[in-house]
Amino acid sequence: MATPSILHVDMDAFFAAVEVRDDPSLAGKPVVVGGGGDRGVVAAASYEARIHGVRSAMPSFQARRLCPGAVFVTARHARYRQVSDAVHRLLLGVTPLVERLGLDEAFLDVAGARRLLGDAPTIATGLRRRLHDELGLWCSVGVAPRKLTAKLASEAAKPEAGPTGVAPGAGVVVVGLDDELAFLHRHPVEALAGVGPATLPRLRRLGVRTVGDLATLPRATLEAALGQAAGRRLYALARAQDDRPVVPAGRPKSVSHEETFAGDRHGVEALVPEAVRQADAVAARLRRAGVAGRTVHLKVRFGDFRTITRSCTVTEPLDRGHELARVVRRLLATVDVSAGVRLLGVGVSSLTDSGSAQLRLEDQGPGWAEVTTAVDAARRRFGESAVLPATVVARGRAPERPRP
Amino acid sequence: MKFRCERDVLVEALGSATRAVSTRGGALPVLSGVKAELKGDSLVLTGSDLDLTIQVSVTVAGEADGVAVLPARLAADIVRALEPGAVHVEVGESEARIASGRSHFGVRLLPADDFPRVADAPADEVTLDAGALVEALRQVVPAASHDDARPILTGVYMTAEADGLRLVATDSYRLAVRDLSGVSVLAEGQSVLVPSRALGELARLLGDAGEVSLRLGERDATFEAGEFAAGGGSGTGTRLTTRLIEGQFPNYRQLIPESSANRLTVGREPLLDALRRVKLLAREATPVRLSLGPDGVELSAVTQDVGQAEEGIDAKYEGAEMVIAFNPEYLADGVEAVEGDEVSLETTDALKPAVVRSVERGDYLYLLMPVRVS
Repeated sequence: MATPSILHVDMDAFFAAVEVRDDPSLAGKPVVVGGGGDRGVVAAASYEARIHGVRSAMPSFQARRLCPGAVFVTARHARYRQVSDAVHRLLLGVTPLVERLGLDEAFLDVAGARRLLGDAPTIATGLRRRLHDELGLWCSVGVAPRKLTAKLASEAAKPEAGPTGVAPGAGVVVVGLDDELAFLHRHPVEALAGVGPATLPRLRRLGVRTVGDLATLPRATLEAALGQAAGRRLYALARAQDDRPVVPAGRPKSVSHEETFAGDRHGVEALVPEAVRQADAVAARLRRAGVAGRTVHLKVRFGDFRTITRSCTVTEPLDRGHELARVVRRLLATVDVSAGVRLLGVGVSSLTDSGSAQLRLEDQGPGWAEVTTAVDAARRRFGESAVLPATVVARGRAPERPRP
Repeated sequence: MKFRCERDVLVEALGSATRAVSTRGGALPVLSGVKAELKGDSLVLTGSDLDLTIQVSVTVAGEADGVAVLPARLAADIVRALEPGAVHVEVGESEARIASGRSHFGVRLLPADDFPRVADAPADEVTLDAGALVEALRQVVPAASHDDARPILTGVYMTAEADGLRLVATDSYRLAVRDLSGVSVLAEGQSVLVPSRALGELARLLGDAGEVSLRLGERDATFEAGEFAAGGGSGTGTRLTTRLIEGQFPNYRQLIPESSANRLTVGREPLLDALRRVKLLAREATPVRLSLGPDGVELSAVTQDVGQAEEGIDAKYEGAEMVIAFNPEYLADGVEAVEGDEVSLETTDALKPAVVRSVERGDYLYLLMPVRVS
């Protein structure tokens, strides 16, 4: 790793920036994206709103008090995903090694692209300009030898909103191999992933404020204070030991859902509503990922921890709750559940893109396709339990919460 | 039991009977066996998975009557591997000895008492032309479902129509309807649902048989071809017994559009050839698109990150220009099933079912739902 090759691309105030791009009259104004009404939470705020102290995850009423002049818009996640996909496509033009994190961040490994496109800082600067020219959005890019430091570098490249105004950021911050440790050690220790409200007080007691302070402690001390796993992890991070590769997110291999019951369930009748609900949840996740699958799996763990799985493959890929539930119920019927069931799991594999869908003869006229679209829309708006399969609702009680 | 028989006769008989033998072990181990029953010179071989039973009778040189159940796959593999010529089979207490020339095999038997009894077929029988039935089955069986989650759709619906017998199958993506006029198998208004797997096997077994008889019971249907020798008779023949599927077949009539706005007329072979080529680029469940216009039809397929294919075919097209996409396998199944040199494809729009039929003959119809492309 002679020169840095990892890029961390982080979109600036992404949701708010998309809203401004779609409605130029918002440009330069404080924009707060969030749930409607006073009970919502801020999903994103433009830098102009941040000047007034508005932050993500803050209750909307508080944001209104801090910045009464802000334009409040309701989050449009489908739209953000669409724009995020466009960003992702642009990043893929640089290298196939793009690892997406949520809608507004990604890691790139440009080691192989340097010969064609120039060194990593050049690629970073070019990317930033293209994202702005082609999509009208700004991002900050960190360039470093590792994911750990690349992410800190993109943070350092961000614009900063202070009480006096917005200070433009560097846009691109490059951390070379030689200055990597010094750069890392300057950061407060809470900049490291995994240092949160539980860990921080313990580190403070050891006199640790910066990552540099952390690096002076022996491993044994950290393990004694934080437990073996966490101690070992922070010991390594303080030394910039992070060899996680950039993993391009492919299509998922499978989607599954399982749940342990508070008490063992006896008999098929008691299990069907759970199976149907899980099938419905898995189908919703398949649709969200834009995939459909042909192989359906059922997992059953009995009270004595004996675990069995059953699977079957159907002709056309499934991504609808009622279709998946039908197959799951049939699999369930082949299992003797009289011994009492502790855990039930439903999964789907053999996934393909659901961009095209084989229509069914019974689909003519408004049917399941429209119902499914409407269910997805209602759930996005009102939450997962806004619409439930009748088998589940008919039990006359809320779905059971999983045992932790 | 002891008999002598030509290898080829035994290979064929074992091959047919073992097609009904259950492939997944299942609850009843004896079902992995083939039952051999010798009376005089008549040997009857039976394979069954409880739903489907296939029996074959052949004439052999019998020496001692008897009944035994042999492991089906092993017995078939052994006999097939022998040199051509006479095969000697002798069944002892717990072992069957199979010998030919200098090859000798001893095979452990399965308990014959556990083998299920084949249901008795009623005496009433009707006779059908085997060639016509095989042709109709070839056209209809591929449209039936293989998805056991919807057992009704795994059957072929046989129903009495005014002037004959109608066969219908659908897997909910396509629907095939074939009329056999002048064939009265069922009483008016009567219908049965026969597992498509059994009918697929029947079409295979009938081969060049001239006639096939059908006997319908409460729960089973029995087809017989040749001189099937049951209970001491002699002759070479085949009997297939299948359980019937219970339940209500969907109302398929309402699915068939009364008229279609657009009609493509195209050569059957050129369309199949083009489909065969273009579908090479229709991978990972991507469809083949048909662009219909005054110049004919262009087929195209695109698989992301793999490539694309296009091919134009001369054809006659009346109607609005449109693009409609299909699963290439489903489309090929329908076009393949059509008799004659020319097929017509009638469409309403890209989301409504298309109808494939022969230009020359009106006894077959294949309804196919398109693939919605985004």
